Amino acid sequence: MEKITFDQLDETLYYEKMDNGLDVYILPKKGFSKTFVTFTTKYGSIDRTFVPLGEQEMITVPDGIAHFLEHKMFEKEDGDVFQKFSELGASANAFTSFTRTAYLFSATNHVYDSTKTLLDFVQQPYFTDETVNKEKGIIGQEITMYDDQPDWRQYFGTIENMYHNHPVKIDIAGTIETIDGITAEHLYTCYNTFYHPSNMLVFAIGAVDPEEMMTFIRNDQASKEFPAPTPLNRHFDEEPTAVAVKERTLYMDVQKPKAMVGLKAKQVDLQGADMLKHELAMNIGFELLFGRTSPFYTRVYEADLIDESFGQDFSLEQGFGFGLIGSDTFEPERLIAEIQQELAAAEQTLPFTAEDVERMKRKKIGFYLRAMNSIEFIANSFTRYKFNDMNLFDAVPTLEQLTFADIQHALTSIQGKDQQTIFTVLPMQQEEQSA
Amino acid sequence: MDLFTTIQLAKGVQLHVRPTTQFKTVNFSIKWRTALTDEAAAARTVLTNVLQHSNAKFQTTAAFRSYLDDLYGTVLYFDTAKRGNEHTVLLNVETVNDQYLNNANVLQEVLATLHTAVFEPNVDETGAFKAEIVHREREMVVQRIQSIFDDKTRYAQQKLTQLMRPNHPASISANGSLHAVKAVTVEDVMQAYKTMLQNDRIDMYVVGDVEPEAIAQRLQKAFPFEDREPTALAAIPANTTTFDYVREQQEMKQGKLHIGYSTPVRFGDPDFAAMQIFNGIFGGYPHAKLFMNVREKESLAYYASSSYSGHYGLVFVLAGIEAANEEKAYTLIQQQLQAMQQGDLTDLELAQTKAMLTNQLKEALDSARGQIEIYDQYKDLAETFSIDTWAARWDAITLADVQRMAQQVTLEKVYFLSGKEQ
Repeated sequence: MEKITFDQLDETLYYEKMDNGLDVYILPKKGFSKTFVTFTTKYGSIDRTFVPLGEQEMITVPDGIAHFLEHKMFEKEDGDVFQKFSELGASANAFTSFTRTAYLFSATNHVYDSTKTLLDFVQQPYFTDETVNKEKGIIGQEITMYDDQPDWRQYFGTIENMYHNHPVKIDIAGTIETIDGITAEHLYTCYNTFYHPSNMLVFAIGAVDPEEMMTFIRNDQASKEFPAPTPLNRHFDEEPTAVAVKERTLYMDVQKPKAMVGLKAKQVDLQGADMLKHELAMNIGFELLFGRTSPFYTRVYEADLIDESFGQDFSLEQGFGFGLIGSDTFEPERLIAEIQQELAAAEQTLPFTAEDVERMKRKKIGFYLRAMNSIEFIANSFTRYKFNDMNLFDAVPTLEQLTFADIQHALTSIQGKDQQTIFTVLPMQQEEQSA
Repeated sequence: MDLFTTIQLAKGVQLHVRPTTQFKTVNFSIKWRTALTDEAAAARTVLTNVLQHSNAKFQTTAAFRSYLDDLYGTVLYFDTAKRGNEHTVLLNVETVNDQYLNNANVLQEVLATLHTAVFEPNVDETGAFKAEIVHREREMVVQRIQSIFDDKTRYAQQKLTQLMRPNHPASISANGSLHAVKAVTVEDVMQAYKTMLQNDRIDMYVVGDVEPEAIAQRLQKAFPFEDREPTALAAIPANTTTFDYVREQQEMKQGKLHIGYSTPVRFGDPDFAAMQIFNGIFGGYPHAKLFMNVREKESLAYYASSSYSGHYGLVFVLAGIEAANEEKAYTLIQQQLQAMQQGDLTDLELAQTKAMLTNQLKEALDSARGQIEIYDQYKDLAETFSIDTWAARWDAITLADVQRMAQQVTLEKVYFLSGKEQ
């Protein structure tokens, strides 16, 4: 077991790679009464074309399968795993993102029993065609629920506009039609390929004794058998830099129009320290351009072009990345023109100074220090960072080193008219008027 | 031991301090409380937006936010909330503990900023709030209220509550109604501001690595609140309505089935703990009857759950279903309640629910915000709050108690929102 200390943050992290390849991290937090454990596989909605374990040929599986698999992990021959967690007084949950599937619980009692339950249910798949078919109604309602949410539709609509080929453009849950084709056999293929311990990470945090917990997990893993790890072979088609669709409109039953501008990133092949530096620089640059203290924000706020729903965000993973700026607005065209004008002007001269960069660095450092109070944030972020070969605890030292030139350089990733797309959601009455 | 040390700063003004090294930040929360009415809620919500926008020292949002960013991203926001028949204006502040910073005097700056945010408003030479700011922020609140329409679950829940308890604290929003907010004037906002500072009951909270006496002295300086005699709140009316089944159609895909029940058991009643267990078994958790039957067994929904609003004596069931399954889902939900009324309950369900309730309470105390909110809710009961007291109370509940609670739960309203037929 390796012990890593972070003096500035006053935290100590314990790490061990198990014989089967599983990475285990433990971070004890003083004063906390709960323990939070996540068990995550580096497998998400974008992993749809790959060579299955032990085979030679590349296959493409139905959209929404990673999320479907997540649902089905909870059902076993002897019933629902939630029942077991409830008996132990533990709250369990799971989520699927573009790149990860995470299973987790939090508990203040019976922590080892819950850890055992977590490790077992994720490592003992049980799928039958009957249970798979039963789930289609439930997930169908989940999909329908999202279909009625204008913000979700706009978020995915913007991503869909940006990408020609990359599967990030496919909704994580798939569609009613694609999930209909999912079988138990599909689930086993995906499970066997992506749920090998060498593709997974356990993070335990909170009220936990590192020695004892590490021994517990080590013994559990040693008692289970897994095939030798083999390298994963995923395939992604070539993706052009320019967006696929420049502009699209969706009509829904909303009170007020919604406008969003998406900026497709060029720089999407970084990992490790380079990615961390780029991502942090990008977040700072993006917030300085469009955040609440920016000249842009003041201008559009005072022109009544935005309301409290205004948001700006930049996301980055290996293979895709994008910035989003959007708000509910009565004048979508004017707001979009303002955003585009701001972007064009920023390509000539950035609307902020080195002093502004220092201030934003302090804000972000404060954010990471505050986030150290949240054991959920630490566990989820640490895992995401690790899957990109970055270390969450390097964020503050990396931020401290960032310069104006770094921000300027990072922003070039989203600069280019071809990389911009527009997505608007308009009230249905406007469709009738335009028809 | 008490979670917080309470110090009276003035009559009606209490400071609750929890010194702890558990967190890397110091949290402040100030709560101004008054009787809940639609007009008060509306004026006070516009007020919180105005105070959040700027102040005498930082006259624009950008200037104010830049200053807070510079203080290592100190979080500062005003908001409104309600509980029972009480309306609350709250100011929440979180700042990094100086110990983790190199050049450390952030706490001192934050205390000065608290004073600025509350006592140095952005007013004109006559001492009135600036009309331009008030009008724009009022419009922001209007937009916030109207945006509920775009969120079908929230919209349906709001409709159900209005059907069950019209003109009643249960259905008055902490933001006020659209109608009331649109009517708010610049003078109303000033009046609300003055009343809030002079007459409201005030609870101030501090959680972090601080020394109670020292922080009390500093806060007393930053907040020179005078004595006040808050008026006692009227009891929440116990009226009910007759059964009604209401359907509405909009352009949407999913069907939103919202069912409202009433119970005579309220927060603070001897049966409150039993009622919490009832709700847990009915639909509060993934082991509950609604989840197990409506979702897992019949695959009718992705979410199907219940919640218990103890201050108003209401139980709500929410399920997102295919519109064609309305009757099937409604019948199945009603059957779960009937089963509980007939005593179809197991020791396992009881044990699971007790374990979950206790765990949830313990977990909530792992955040500074959680410590403040839980203490704030329970402090008015005539007992010292402790996890053990509540764990023992839940532990004493029997299956017969749960059945008795189920028998007191009465169906009152059903609201079904669904798409227009194609």
